[in-house]
Amino acid sequence: MPEATYLQAISDGLREEMRHDETVFCLGEDIGAFGGAFKVTDGFIEEFGTQRVWDTPLAEAAIIGTAVGAAVEGLRPVCEMQFADFIACGFDQLVNVAAKMHYRQGLAVPMTVRLPSGGGFSGGPFHSQNPEAWFLQAPGLKVVAPSTPADAKGLLAAAIQDPNPVVYLEHKHLYRRAKGEVPEGRYEIPLGKARLAREGADLTVIAYGAMVPLALEATDDLEGARIEVLDLRSLVPLDRDAVLASVRKTSKVVVRHEATRSCGVGAEVAALIAEEAFEDLDGPVVRVSAPDVPIPFSPPLERAVLPQVDDVKEACRELLAY
Amino acid sequence: MSSSPTSSAAAEVTMPQMGVSVAEGTIVEWRKRPGDWVERDETIVEISTDKVETEVPAPATGRVTEVLVEVGQTVDVGTLLAVIDTAARPGEAHADELPETGVTAEPPETGVAAEPPETAPAGAPPTSPVVRRIASEHGVDLSTVTGSGRRGRVTKRDVLAHIEAGHDGDEPVLHSESPYREPEPQPAAAPHGAELSVMRRRIGEHMVRSLQTAAHCTTIVEADMSAVEAGRGRLSYLPFVARATITALREHPALNATLEGDRLTTHEEVHLGVAVALGDDGLIVPVVRNAHELSHEGLATRITDLAERARARELSPDEVGGGTFTITNPGRYGALLATPIINQPQVAILDLEAVVRRPVAVGGDSIGIRPMTYLCMSWDHRALDGVLAARFLGSVRRNLEEWRG
Repeated sequence: MPEATYLQAISDGLREEMRHDETVFCLGEDIGAFGGAFKVTDGFIEEFGTQRVWDTPLAEAAIIGTAVGAAVEGLRPVCEMQFADFIACGFDQLVNVAAKMHYRQGLAVPMTVRLPSGGGFSGGPFHSQNPEAWFLQAPGLKVVAPSTPADAKGLLAAAIQDPNPVVYLEHKHLYRRAKGEVPEGRYEIPLGKARLAREGADLTVIAYGAMVPLALEATDDLEGARIEVLDLRSLVPLDRDAVLASVRKTSKVVVRHEATRSCGVGAEVAALIAEEAFEDLDGPVVRVSAPDVPIPFSPPLERAVLPQVDDVKEACRELLAY
Repeated sequence: MSSSPTSSAAAEVTMPQMGVSVAEGTIVEWRKRPGDWVERDETIVEISTDKVETEVPAPATGRVTEVLVEVGQTVDVGTLLAVIDTAARPGEAHADELPETGVTAEPPETGVAAEPPETAPAGAPPTSPVVRRIASEHGVDLSTVTGSGRRGRVTKRDVLAHIEAGHDGDEPVLHSESPYREPEPQPAAAPHGAELSVMRRRIGEHMVRSLQTAAHCTTIVEADMSAVEAGRGRLSYLPFVARATITALREHPALNATLEGDRLTTHEEVHLGVAVALGDDGLIVPVVRNAHELSHEGLATRITDLAERARARELSPDEVGGGTFTITNPGRYGALLATPIINQPQVAILDLEAVVRRPVAVGGDSIGIRPMTYLCMSWDHRALDGVLAARFLGSVRRNLEEWRG
C-alpha cells in the first residue's frame, strides 16, 4: 500500500468519488483555479472542468443552500468551508434546511460539508475552532472526524455516498503531519464505527481527529500502564457499543478533545458512560479539552489553551492512581 | 404506615403490617427514647419480623412521651409501641437534641442492632461502583481489602487481586455464604457469653423446625463446569447453576413443590430462593419471582439486586417468602460438600460448593484437567424418593455440561 498524507488521502478520496459517480461535484471558495486554500482540490478543475468544480462567492449560506437544492434534485455535492469557523454563516441552511428535510418532506439530502478545523498555528479565534459540538445538537446531521489518512479517505467516501447531510471535520494540524498507508482505489469506512487504535486494560483514552495521535503519543510509555485508545471516528452516530465495551474492560476513562469543554463530545460520552456503565466505573470520567475560551493568537497563550501531550499524561496518571 | 396521629396533640406509633403474611413483630432497638425530639419520617424504632428487619419512621414531628414495648418483646401488628407529643416544641434541651459534640446524659446504647457499614473502615474514601459490584458478586467484605488508590481507596485491581489471592490458582470464587457455616469465633467475647440476636434466633428456629419436620436425605452429583467456564465471562457460576436448575425443575415439577402437613403442592412457576449472607449476622433467602422467565443474565442481575438490598436491609417481606426451591452456595471458602437443611415448606434445597480444577477421565482413556463441582441436594423423603432426586440432579448436570451461552 502506498503511503500518503492525510491531505493527499482526502484529495484522493474526493477524486475517486468524482471519477466513480458523476453526480458528485464540489463547490467552495477558491477551490477551482486556486486549488483550495489548503490545496485539497489542486488539479481538480483540470480533470473535472468548471461544471463539477465550482468557485463560489464568499457566501457560505449560498454554498450550503445551493448544495441542499442540488442534493434534493439527486446530485451529491461536496462543499468546502475554507475554515470550519466560517460555517456559522451557513448555519441556517445546514441545521434547519438540510438536517430537517427528510423529517419535513421525506427528501434525502446526500451532501457533504468539509470543515478544515482546529488550531495550533496562531490562526486566532476565527480560524482555529473545532465546532463539532454545534452539530451534535442538530438531529438529521451526521458528523465524522477522521484521525488517519486511511480513515480520512474511507470516511469521505462513506460520507459522500450517505443519503444524509454529513459534516466532515478534517483537522488542519494533520494535513501534512499525519502519514500512513492508504489503500488504493475506492473503499468506505462505515459511519458510526469506532476504531480501537490501541488495545489496553488499565485505562481508556477516548479521542477523535487530531487528538488520537496525540493520545497515542502521550500514553505510549506511561510507567508500564496498558492504555487503551479508542478513536471514535464518527461523532454522530456515536459508536456506543465500542465506548461501553472499552469502559467495561478498563473501568477508567479519559475523554479528550481539542474543542472547548462544556457540552462537548466529552460531556456526551461521559453522560453515556454514567447512564449505561455506572457499575463498571472505578473512577470519575475525566475530560481533557480546551477551556471555554476562544483560541488566542499568541503562540504561548494558544499552547496554554489547547490540550498538550503532557496534559493527557497528567490526567492519565491521576486517574490510574485514583 | 400504620401509625397515625390520634389527636392534634399526640401521634401513635404502632407495629406496622409488613407484608400480607406477617402477623407480629419484635422490637430490635429504640432509636428514640422518652423525651427525645423526633422529626416526621425519622427512624424511631427498628423492628424484626419473621422475614425482615426494618426501620419504622415516625408518623409526626414532636417529642416522644412514652415507649410502651421493650426491646426483645414480640407483639401483634397494630399494637401501640410509642406515643409522640406533637404539640411539644423543640429547644427544651434534652440531651439527645444537643449537637453531636455535646455531652449526652447517658452513654449511647450499643449492642443490639447497629450494623457496621458494609464497606471500608471509617475514614477510608468511598469505593467506586465497580468495586462495590464485584465485592457484592463475590461476597467480599471490603473492609478486609488493602487499598492502593488515593487515600487508601480500594480499586478494582485491589479487589480482583484480593479475590484471586484468596484461592489457589484458577479456583473461582463463589457468591454468598453458607447458612451452615460455624459462626466465626468472637474475638473479645464477654466472659459470660452474649445473647443471640433476633435474627440468629429466627434462623435457629427455622432450621430446627425443618429438621424435625422433613425426612432429610442428601444426594450428590459431580458436574464438569468447562462449558459454563468458557461462557461465563465475569459472571459467577451461580446464575448458570440457577438457570440449569430452573430448567430441570420444569422437567421435574415434583421438586418444585411445597409440602405442608399432608398436603403436597407442585408449582408451575419457579420462585427461586437464593441464600444471601448478611455479614456475620446471619442470612436471608430472598426470592426471585418467576425465575423461569429469566435468562442467566437476567438471573444474575436480579440476584445481585436482591443481595445488595438484603445487605442494605431494604427487602420487603414479600420478597423473602413464597419460594418454591432454594439454592445456596457457600463455596467461597473452598468447601467441597455440604448437607443443607431444607427451607420449609419446600421439598428440596440445592447446595453449590466450590468449583475446583481436578484431573478427571475424559473421552475414553485420557485424563484431563477440568473445573469440577459437587451439586449437593437435600430433599424430603416424605415428598419424593431417591431415584427422582438423582434424575433431577442428572438433568441439572446435563444442563451445565451442555451449556451453550
